[in-house]
Parts: sequence; C-alpha cells; structure tokens
Amino acid sequence: MTRNTLDRLVLAGFIGLAVLLYVSTADYPGIAQKTSAKYVRFLALSFGILSAAQLLLSLRRQVPDETLDLFGRAGRFFGLLAGLVAFAVAFEPLGFFIPAAVFIPAVAVLLGYRNPLIIGASTAGVLAAVWLIFVQVLSVNLPGPGF
Amino acid sequence: MLKHTFAAGLAVLGLAAGPALAQDYPTKSIEIIVPSSAGGSTDTTARIFAEIAEKKFDGFNFVINNIKGSGGQKGFEAIARAKPDGYTIGMVFTPQLVAHIVSGRASYTLDSFHIMGNMGEDPALVAVPKDSPIETLDDLAKGDDLTVAVNGIGSDDFIAAKNFEDAAGVSFNLLPTKGSTEQKSAILGGHVDASFMNLTQIIGQHKSDDARIIAMLTRDRSDLVPDVPTGVEQGYDVLMTATRGFVAPAGVPDDIAARLDEVLADVMADPEFTQKAEASSIYLLPMSGPDYLAYLETLQADTQKVFDAAPW
Amino acid sequence: MEYIAIVLAPASLLAILTGTVAGVVIGAMPGLTATMAVGLLVPFTYTMDPVLGLMLLGGIYAGAMYGGSIPAILLNTPGTPAAVATALEGYPMTRQGRGRLALKVSVVGSFMGGMLSALVLLMFAPLLAKQALAFGPAETFLLALMGLAGIVSIADEDTSLIKALLAGVLGMIIAVIGTDAMSGGLRYTFGSINLIDGIDFMPALIGLFSMIQMLDIAGQRHETTIDASILEKAQKSEPMPKGIARYMALGSGTGTVVGVLPGEGATIAAFLSYNFAKRIAGVKAKFGTGAPEGIAASEAGNNGCVGGSLVPTLTLGIPGNSVAAALMGAFIIHGMIPGPDLFAVHADKTYPFIYSLFIANVVFLIVGISVAPYLARIALIPPAIMVPVISAFAVLGSYALNQSVFDVYLMIGFAFFGLILKKIGYSLEALILGLILGPIAEGGFSQGMIIGKGSPAIFFESNIAKVMWVIILGLLTPPLVAHVRRMLRR
Repeated sequence: MTRNTLDRLVLAGFIGLAVLLYVSTADYPGIAQKTSAKYVRFLALSFGILSAAQLLLSLRRQVPDETLDLFGRAGRFFGLLAGLVAFAVAFEPLGFFIPAAVFIPAVAVLLGYRNPLIIGASTAGVLAAVWLIFVQVLSVNLPGPGF
Repeated sequence: MLKHTFAAGLAVLGLAAGPALAQDYPTKSIEIIVPSSAGGSTDTTARIFAEIAEKKFDGFNFVINNIKGSGGQKGFEAIARAKPDGYTIGMVFTPQLVAHIVSGRASYTLDSFHIMGNMGEDPALVAVPKDSPIETLDDLAKGDDLTVAVNGIGSDDFIAAKNFEDAAGVSFNLLPTKGSTEQKSAILGGHVDASFMNLTQIIGQHKSDDARIIAMLTRDRSDLVPDVPTGVEQGYDVLMTATRGFVAPAGVPDDIAARLDEVLADVMADPEFTQKAEASSIYLLPMSGPDYLAYLETLQADTQKVFDAAPW
Repeated sequence: MEYIAIVLAPASLLAILTGTVAGVVIGAMPGLTATMAVGLLVPFTYTMDPVLGLMLLGGIYAGAMYGGSIPAILLNTPGTPAAVATALEGYPMTRQGRGRLALKVSVVGSFMGGMLSALVLLMFAPLLAKQALAFGPAETFLLALMGLAGIVSIADEDTSLIKALLAGVLGMIIAVIGTDAMSGGLRYTFGSINLIDGIDFMPALIGLFSMIQMLDIAGQRHETTIDASILEKAQKSEPMPKGIARYMALGSGTGTVVGVLPGEGATIAAFLSYNFAKRIAGVKAKFGTGAPEGIAASEAGNNGCVGGSLVPTLTLGIPGNSVAAALMGAFIIHGMIPGPDLFAVHADKTYPFIYSLFIANVVFLIVGISVAPYLARIALIPPAIMVPVISAFAVLGSYALNQSVFDVYLMIGFAFFGLILKKIGYSLEALILGLILGPIAEGGFSQGMIIGKGSPAIFFESNIAKVMWVIILGLLTPPLVAHVRRMLRR
C-alpha cells in the first residue's frame, strides 16, 4: 500500500466516524442535550471538517507518492505483537512471572540475540526487580500463583 | 508482608481450600475486597477493622484488596462472584450498591450477598456558601432556579436532592460533579447556590466558617454539629446517609457466617476501634446483619422510585 | 526552627531519601505512576510515625515527577504524561549524543521548579488557595483549552497542522467513551463494564510511546549499529547552555500557578511552559530538534506542580490532582483533616512535611546529576535485550494501574494503531494531550453550561476568563499565522 492510499483511507474512515458520532448525540438523554451533546457535536464537527479538508488537500496536491514501509521486518514486528497478545492472554491465569520468564528470552531470540548468559541474566533481573518493587514494596495484587 | 502476599495468592486461587469447618476456621488469610481506592475513607474503615480484628482474634489474618472503579460496581461484583468459603469478604457502600441494581447495570442482586452488618455512615446534608442568603431549607425550597451541586448521578446526594425536590415541589438546576472535591470547591468558591453532600466532606469548612451547613438529612441532630437542625425539624422528610457495611458472598456455610458476624460485632464494640475510627473521622453506625439487610431493601425500593421518575 | 530540626533528624532524612529515590525509580518505569505509588503506600504509612510517613510520600511525589523525564529523554518513552513535552526535545538530543546534557538540564529544571513551588507552598498557601477558589468550571474549561493550544505548537514546523489537530480531536473523542457525567448514561461502552469508567490514559501513554518505540525497533530493517562518535560525545560533559535559567524560571512560575488550579495540572503545566518557552525563544532555539530550553521549561513546569497542587490540598482539602488526592488520604488516615487546623493544631507535622519537600528536591538533584553519565549509557544496551524487557514492563504497568487485563489489550491496541497513524504523519503527542485534557475540557464545559443556565456567556464573564482568553489567543495566533503563510507560499 502506498502512503497516499493509506492516508486517504484513514481520512475517509475519520469522516465516517465523525458522522456516526454526530448522529449518535441525538440519543443523549435530557440534561446531556444541553451540555455533553453540544461538546461531542463540536468534536464531531471539527473532526469531520478537518478530515475533509485534509482529504481535499491530499487529493488536489501532487505529493510524490511512496510505498509505505509500515512494519519493517514483518516477522519480527508481528512476532513481538503476537508475543504481547499471548502475554496478555496468559496474564489472568498465570500471572506475571511465568509468562514473563518465557516472553523475555523468546523475544530476545526472535530479535536475533544469541548470548544465553545475558538473556538469562536480564530475565532474572527483571523478574527480581518486579518481585521486589511490585510485590514486596507496593503489594500490588498480581493474579496467578503467588510467590 | 511476604506472608501476606503469599497468602493472598493462595486465597485468590483457592489452592489451600478444603471443606472449611467452623472449628478450625480460619486456616489462612481472609481477603477483604474494598471497592474503592486505597487511602479513602471506606478503605480506612476496612484497615482499622482488620487491625483490631487481628489483635482480638487469634488466627485471623486479613489481606485488603482494593478493586476500584465504576462507582464500586467492579468491587461489588467481585465479592458476589467470590468463592463462598469464608475466605473472601468485602465492604459495600450505599446507595451505590443498590443504585447499580436499580439502574439495571449490576449483575448481582442483594441476594448475592450474606449481609454481615453495617459499620459506619457519612450522613448527608445541605451546605451553602458562607455569605449565602439561603439560611434554611424553606429558603432553598423557594428557588426554582437555584444551581445545586450533587456528587454524580445515582449518588446519595443526587437521590437526596431528587427527594427534596419532590418534597418541596421545586426543580433545581442540578449540577453533577466528579466527586466531593469539585462540590467542595464549588461551594467554597461560591459557584453554586447549594450542595447536597456528606458530613466528612465539609465539617472542617463549616467549623472554620468557610461554608455553612443548613440542614442535616438525618433523623436526629448530629453530635458533631449540634447547632445544625435536621431536615425533618424544618418540615422536609428527606433522610439520606451513605452507609459502609461488610458482606460475604451468599452461600457461605452457616457456622462460618455466624463466626464472621460475631467478629464484626465484637470489633465494633471494642473501645480501641471506636477511638481509632473517631480519629480518622469515621462515624460509626452499628447495624446487625438482618437490620442492615432491611435497610438496604428499603433503600432499594426508594431508589427505584427516584429512578422510575427520572431514569439515568 | 524546631520544625527544621525534625526534618534534619536522621530518621526523617532516611525517610525522605528512601521516598525520593523510590520516586525517581517509579517515575522512570513505564506504567508506574506517582498516583499509584502514593495510593498503594498510604496504608503502609498507616503504621508509621505520621511525619515520617508523610515525608516518605512527599519524596515519592517529588521524585516521580522528575523520574518521568529520564526514559522520556533516553528512550522516547515518557514515564508520566507530564514528561511527553520533555521527550519532544530530549529524545532528539539523545540521538545527537547530547543525552547527558539533556538529563542535566532536566534535573536542574525539575529542581528549580520544585524549590520555587515548595517555597510558595510554605509562604503563601492560604492566600493563594483563596484566589484559586475563584476558579470555577468555566475557567477550568479555559485552562484545558490553554493546554490544548500546545497541539498547535507541536505541529509548528514540518508536520501538518491539520493532522496534529486531527490527532488531538481524536484523543478527545476517545476520551468521550464511558459514563456521561451529566446524565449518568453510558456512551459508546458497548456493554462492557471495562469501559464504564472510560479509557485510562496510562495504557494509552504506554502503548503510544513505550510500546510503539519497541515495535519500531523490532521491525527495523537495519540493525542499529551504535555510532561510535555519538557515544564518544555522550561521555563528554557539556556545560549548561547560557540563558537557560530564564526558561527554568518561566517553567517554575507557570507550573506553580497551574498546580494550584484544579485539573491534572502537571501535564498542562509542562505543555504550557514548553509552549511559552517556544514563543519566547523564537526560531533560533530550534525547537523540535533538540532544544535544551524546551526541556528546562517543561521539567520546571511539571515539578512546579508538586508544591502548587498541595496548596489547595492542605489549606482547603481540595486536592489539585490525583497524587495530591492520594496524599490527602494519608493525612486523613493519621487524623489530620486538611484545613486551617493543619497549620495550627497539627503544625508540628505539617511544617516538617513542607520542609521535607525542599530536601527531597535536593536529593533528586544530587541523584540526578551523579547518575546522569551512567544513565546516558543506556543507549549501549543491545536493542534485542531492551525490547523484551521494556515490553514486559509495559504489560505489567498497563495491568497494575487498574488491575485489569483489559488495559493490557488497550495498550497493545494503542501501540498497533498508533504506529500506523504515526507513519502517516499524525502526532501522537497531540493525541495523548487530547485524551488527557478532553475530560477536563468536557467537565468544565458541561458544568459551565449548567451554571450559566445554558448560556455560553459564562466562559467570557469573569476577569480571570478574559485574561485566559488573551493568553490562549496569544499562544495560538503566531503559529497559526506562520502556518497560513507557509501554506500560501506553496
């Protein structure tokens, strides 16, 4: 996808959002009509007008187009993203420590790091720091098995 | 602290849970869910309770878990969902507890809880700026166009204000705020004509003459501000107070429930507890489980009336 | 005098030192905020001597406000929203190998802001608090507008003004999600209990800055080789730029004043100070490409809020922001009810607490100056190690604030979609500013409309309001004129 195509798609989406937002304010109950609804309508209007203006500018002006390199090395990018989602999914049942002990080395290896000593030391360091600061000092209730 | 955390982990997971028997109850820490942030007055109440209970009862150890958000709803639901083994109890506060039920947002009902009893209250009142011409509730009842601050829709102040509008036949220009802080600055800065709020929030300013309380919405005058007449005295039958009680999830075995009720009642009767509560400006209002349940049911019915007239 | 003796007692000094150092660490970690730390530690101080407990918390507050600037400068991952403006200048400086100077300017600026505001708190608290009361909802709305004016200055040079404005409005629209304070109705929550309170800005901040930075590094096509010359430069200590004290004084003053007023002061103060500095400095200072003046102003601004926000908190019991609110809980838990009593009956605890803020500022100044050379070496950590470590903290930080896994997903979502927006030229700084200030603007607007009985005249009535309009116009006009000129020339 080129930069201009994506740019225009996003702007079109913004205009759609602005219209939906504006229309939805009609349903605000009683007192909100005099207050919040006005505010939200103002936001929707500004958003729609600005998007439309930018879209027009973009269509009129001959900007040199270029292919957009959104994610760079897609394998690494989406690998990290998938890792994050997996981390979040595992958070509720397993807590922080077990997923983190897997996540940190896995991502380090994914990004091409190969020194097991440094990886191990950083992982252990993070776990220890979190345990000390979050669990010991701040007594944050983390889910999962207690340590 | 390490022990606490460990025990909390176990309590959350229910790892150490066997069939709980009253004679050896408790075998591990009891979690108290507090549906508001640490450092607030509900939280303070829970912590003073835990401190005294641990001192008085051997083997009782409490861990406080603050689950704030959505006007207490997240915390209330966590209590209702908790395993009814006596190792999770929680605090509730009114009228938010019933307001969420009435507005149809809550996935719990009063039946989801075993009501242990009430602990404290924060009575509602009407306050005005210090140089306001409004001296009595009669003055307040005259003004149809007065701007009156309340703490959010569905709060105790809101319901009290709606009840007062009903009783006096007026309609205020109601200003919902994001909490007592905004209400207080609105009153002190003279940006509103009056505010329905709670005693702890304004008593200091009343005593230093920076604001005036014109009516207490309680049955009897408060010992803390004996010069302030009640609403009932002034001919307006509007009563409101924010209560803070203890509950357990419904289904707790009878003997354990009885033990918990007993612990609560004993702590409430302890002079050290009374003294600590007073130092932290917590007004005690002991109510037994059945009494508190009856109070909650009445409150729910009253709130329903307000909701039906003007839903939010 | 006896109060000073209390502060200088070894136990007090230890409490202040512990609190301040802990505060710096907390502020520096993505996702740990002063609000959270103070809130979580209030119960912990319950069993402590009240004065020591308060000193510990005060130290955390002051330290965390400074600490937020460290990762903002070094990694472009502001630890607190108030440090976003600092990152605008600090990160470019790091990339030019001037990270050490940036850190030094930031710590000295923070120190100046903190000292001035503590002094004001000590001398003028009751007087100022009375003035702050004149500040009603209508003025709060204008204050939010003043902060939002920062969007225009973010856009100033090469980025498109329209896109910066769009990003800001998008942030404000996202902030609309949640309970409508006026009617109690739910807006755009799609039946999810997680959205009833709206979208917290912390997961957004972590996603839009820390996590995006990590995703970006992960996807980089070329291994970033460490430029030896930059590193060499980073070892050298640069002298403080001349005339920078002016910007620090400007920020300190702005921060103290804004801190006294209601609202999330620190973010507004930092952006406002940054904006003022930019207007004064003109084009010479090269704002946006690593101007130490910008760091000086914004850091002095956000630390100026510390003392400022305590003014209404201690004298009236009206906390100036969420950290001050949590601190107020600590006062109450020890039976010290904010109000005149605090300065009379409890003077033996209140004054030592205020004095301790001065020490806290000195502590983080010494810590900041002495660790700056080592911190600047963070650039040496291999990206493949830094990315997973910071990502893990980002996940934990998003969760810990509200103990909600939903916030972790939000953080990831903000990072992914934010990255796309960033690549097509939207300013994420503007987006976060809109997200934070949107609710303040909306609250002020709606309440102003109710108090004004439906007439917008209220936003122009008071003298304060008039002065604020003048400032807003003064901030907006020059950059808008410059933009229009540039557009016409093309």
